[in-house]
Amino acid sequence: MVLLLAALLLPLPPGGTLRAGPKAKRAEDLWALRPLVRPALPASARPGANPVDAFIEASLRERGLTPLGRAEPLVLLRRVYLDLIGIPPSPAEQEAFLSDHSPDAYEKVVDRLLASEQHGVRYGRRWLDVLRYADEDEQLVPSVGLHHWRDWVIGALNEDLPYDQFVRAQLTGYRGAARTQITATGHRVAVPPRADDLFALGFLARGAARFDGAQSPELAISAVETISTAFMGMTVGCAKCHDHFYDPISKRDYYAMKALFDPLVVRKVVLAGAEERVANGKAPAEAARKRAALEAKIAELAGPYRERLYEERLAMLPGEVQQVIRKPEKQRTAAERKIADDYYPVLRIDAGKISEVMPEGERKRYGELRKELDGLGSGGDLPACFTVEVDPARALEKSFILISGDPQRPDRAHEVEPGWPFGPANPDLREGRVEALSDWLTAPENPLFPRVAVNRIWQWHFGEGLHALPSDLGSLGGVPAELDLLNWLAAEFVSRGFGMKSLHRLMVTSEAYRRSSETRGERAAPSLTLDPALAHPWAFRLQRLDAEGVWDSIFASAGRLDLRVGGPSFDGALPGLPAGEGRSMRRGAYLVRGFSASRDVLPPFLQTFDVDDGRVPCPVRTRTVTAPQSLFLMNSREVAEAADALGHRVERESGGDLGSAIDRAYALVLCRPPTHAEHRHATEFLAGNPARLVPLAWVLLNLDEFLFVR
Amino acid sequence: MSLHDTYPCGRISRRRFLHQAGGGFLGAAMGALWAESGEIQNAILGPHFPPRARSVIFLFMCGGVSHIDTFDPKDNKWAGKFIDAVGFGDNQAEMKRPVIPCLRTFTRHGQSGIPVSDWFPHVGSMADEIAVVRSMWCNESNHFPAVIENCTGHRGRQFDHPSLGAWVSYALGTENRNLPTFVNIGRPSSPVQLTGGYLGASVSATPFQAGEMPIPNLIPPKGGVGADRDRAMEALQVLNREFRERYETHLDIAARVKSYELAARMQLSAPQVVDFSREPRHVQEQYGIGAPETEEFGRQLLLARRLAEEGVRFIQICHAGGGNGAWDSHGDMKSHGPLCRATDKPIAGLLQDLKQRGMLDQTLVVWTSEFGRTPWSQNTTGRDHNPRGYTSWLAGGGVRGGVVHGATDEVGYRAVEDPHYCSDLHATLLRQLGLDHRRMEVNLFGRALRLVEEGSEPILGIL
Repeated sequence: MVLLLAALLLPLPPGGTLRAGPKAKRAEDLWALRPLVRPALPASARPGANPVDAFIEASLRERGLTPLGRAEPLVLLRRVYLDLIGIPPSPAEQEAFLSDHSPDAYEKVVDRLLASEQHGVRYGRRWLDVLRYADEDEQLVPSVGLHHWRDWVIGALNEDLPYDQFVRAQLTGYRGAARTQITATGHRVAVPPRADDLFALGFLARGAARFDGAQSPELAISAVETISTAFMGMTVGCAKCHDHFYDPISKRDYYAMKALFDPLVVRKVVLAGAEERVANGKAPAEAARKRAALEAKIAELAGPYRERLYEERLAMLPGEVQQVIRKPEKQRTAAERKIADDYYPVLRIDAGKISEVMPEGERKRYGELRKELDGLGSGGDLPACFTVEVDPARALEKSFILISGDPQRPDRAHEVEPGWPFGPANPDLREGRVEALSDWLTAPENPLFPRVAVNRIWQWHFGEGLHALPSDLGSLGGVPAELDLLNWLAAEFVSRGFGMKSLHRLMVTSEAYRRSSETRGERAAPSLTLDPALAHPWAFRLQRLDAEGVWDSIFASAGRLDLRVGGPSFDGALPGLPAGEGRSMRRGAYLVRGFSASRDVLPPFLQTFDVDDGRVPCPVRTRTVTAPQSLFLMNSREVAEAADALGHRVERESGGDLGSAIDRAYALVLCRPPTHAEHRHATEFLAGNPARLVPLAWVLLNLDEFLFVR
Repeated sequence: MSLHDTYPCGRISRRRFLHQAGGGFLGAAMGALWAESGEIQNAILGPHFPPRARSVIFLFMCGGVSHIDTFDPKDNKWAGKFIDAVGFGDNQAEMKRPVIPCLRTFTRHGQSGIPVSDWFPHVGSMADEIAVVRSMWCNESNHFPAVIENCTGHRGRQFDHPSLGAWVSYALGTENRNLPTFVNIGRPSSPVQLTGGYLGASVSATPFQAGEMPIPNLIPPKGGVGADRDRAMEALQVLNREFRERYETHLDIAARVKSYELAARMQLSAPQVVDFSREPRHVQEQYGIGAPETEEFGRQLLLARRLAEEGVRFIQICHAGGGNGAWDSHGDMKSHGPLCRATDKPIAGLLQDLKQRGMLDQTLVVWTSEFGRTPWSQNTTGRDHNPRGYTSWLAGGGVRGGVVHGATDEVGYRAVEDPHYCSDLHATLLRQLGLDHRRMEVNLFGRALRLVEEGSEPILGIL
């Protein structure tokens, strides 16, 4: 981190294929925008070695840092399980790994994990942090099927959808660049998109549908902020109110990019087949008929009283106002209409006032009727989700710079043409605005696109990116120390056709990933002195488990983790059942995210363990180590129940032998056997009493080791 | 091992640190880690000058209290007349609205003769300790935006601004290693009132309840593991030993050890704070504990005093929160009655108790709301939201008592004399705590972010 402070812009040779406007600082000055040329492997590279290691070892040598040796097998196994699928290895999986003596035993595990559908759940959640998934926010109508977008992301990762297609689908609804085709008769027509890719557009629609049914002006603003940071690694959002302080991004660039999204509107899509729709179509009509009948009865009953109250109220008003009000609406002048509108609330006769003046019997009847009316729904609702589409009328409207970023205050003197920073001067928008951005972004010659992606994926595996600010490759974060490695990985990613699983595999099978994290002792001392913050990967970075890791590990060890994939979010609150009833918890990735000004949406557990509410993209979670986290592990009902289940589980699975119960508990919680000393202490603690297995389980869940990936 | 062993830079200010780190993500994480570890007990940003107050008890009435019916009397000569009013919320147009009469009687209290309505007789009896500011204003006219503006000093949530208490706790750190620095009691209108925002989770409010369990997860659930807890804690220490030795060079593990210790200390000290059994009966009665109407708020205020005594910096009490807040009396001003009765005696009791203990000088008590209420109604006997003029009052902590400052117009609509934006109240609070609002800023994402923006100043007229 200290090295980051010395972030200096290295003088770079001019050149580059990307356009830059006439700005104080040129796009060419940014390392991330320079053309991607695959660096040669360092001369010292051992034949057959992972190229990742070739670069890192050369760099470490140059810096006088001595890499640590490999982590112990079970330490590595737990690390790679928690990383790739977010669930610790079971005792059987630990045993199988230890007894597999083939040279590629570890690689086989990696392949199996990458093929597991739980991998999509784990990495989907990571992507969704960056893409600001939230089930609910100030404007978003809750429970409208946004989880279909999450399911789509998880599914896409599981089928190893190439990264460029992954991004294109979420921007345009099409995986490929071919969105039109020519018919036999020479007409260009749209290719219908894949039906399931509709859900990918939840990315743009998220948060844009308001409770009042209107369109949120935030759609375009949120799209610019999210796309620029997530896929371009540029904080274009900073230029909303002023030119960017650090990077060559002007306010005009911002609004040009925003103009790409201005024509988009959200559309509600009902997710039902023909039969369901027909059946459902009858319900509102039925409800409306009942409603009309009731309303007529109410009007008949309340009519005379309402009229009397109205006349009384009207008589209180000044004479000229009375005159205006008594005029038929159509005969009023504009000024008179304003007067009538002003006095409308004064003359409004509420139900409460009517029932005050009614005699007892009628009041009761009136109350009953109104209650009945309130109870009438509008007729069944079908499941739905939101998507976006271009509104042709909006596409004809001009876009302007907004004053102070306020959608209500366009600066009419400053019109902008659709475009984006670092893009072509006159982008070809014939296929659509967002489509043009999407094609530019995902083109193999765009160096920004793979650099941002490989850096982000590196961060997820190693705890910190090669460039420390994964969503900001601008000048603020300086030039990464391992720039050659980053460039090599980016070039490799492109040449492998943007396959994410193959990139994961490349990284986690490197020696750098397999290193020990124990920086104690003589061997590590010189390196630790030189690089105490582990800015260079000479040791593996110890990390606190993230929120979902804590959640999933607790319930997995107890045998209570529900591994179902897909579906809506849940709030994590424990139902009021007694402990030990065999209930299970869904994976932490499905815990609800969101923000409401009026109540807590994000479960306290997630807040305690540093999860953002999803209002804005979160490229790096803060990782605090706090007392409330300790209190959760010590005293929460969740941990108490898990300890109870775990204690009984190991008792059952060890056939009553306390010695093997201890081994089993260690394997389930810490994914390793206990040392002799630990076994002895645990045996002393149990003192021959199987009932103490539950408190022992609690102890293990509270160990520091449990909370960290090492 | 102390964190200083691995962090030679020692007392580098976090502001500088964040700035240098160039991003803030890492910096924020580190800062949070330090703060939680208890290493930072002294100031991070301040104090900038000798403080007058040690703690703040911030009483926030959720929903918008009518200043006209409580601390800002108007004669009823406009009652029943239609005046030009401005609609709030979605309707910003000028329109005619009827002024409704104020049905309260006001009594002049104490030597200062500050008029207080018959809804607050007990608070009235403490008038000589109180500085009433009748000329507060803010921009937002709906509850949540106004609550956000009043607690963060900013409109909207674009920048994740922290709440006032988080700033104070960030700037001054803790005086008590066993308790959090910023505590919230009662249900807030909005979670934003509790947020640490970009200052991090470690300075956000810890919610306390005036009951057996003041903090979530503070004590083990009944049954199960509980019985063997002491032995289990011992075993935990023993079984942690080897891992802690192996990772002794890691900051995170050092922080984990400290956070565990803090959790354990809180487990011991926090229940004592909420245990009122040693409070004499007459003190409890002073707060209205024992009478059904005042019991709940009385307990909350007694807890507030006990937390202030323990050195908690910022104690925020949200009254009648949840949703729009119960003070939101559109339908009939009568609905203010029970809320005033529930809070009047406890508040006066708090002021008396603090004074008797000699704590009032160092404890700043603030009473406020997200906005006031309009002189007119919406065809009811209640009042609409009014951000253009409302009342806050302060007591103790070096504020002059028996003062009325500022004024609204003759119907109580606009603050016209010495108007103070809500950030002026924040600046006043900071000043009494020894903090210069101009120096309260952090650099994040390449820009300076602060609680009090330029143009706002402390309310010197009451100091």
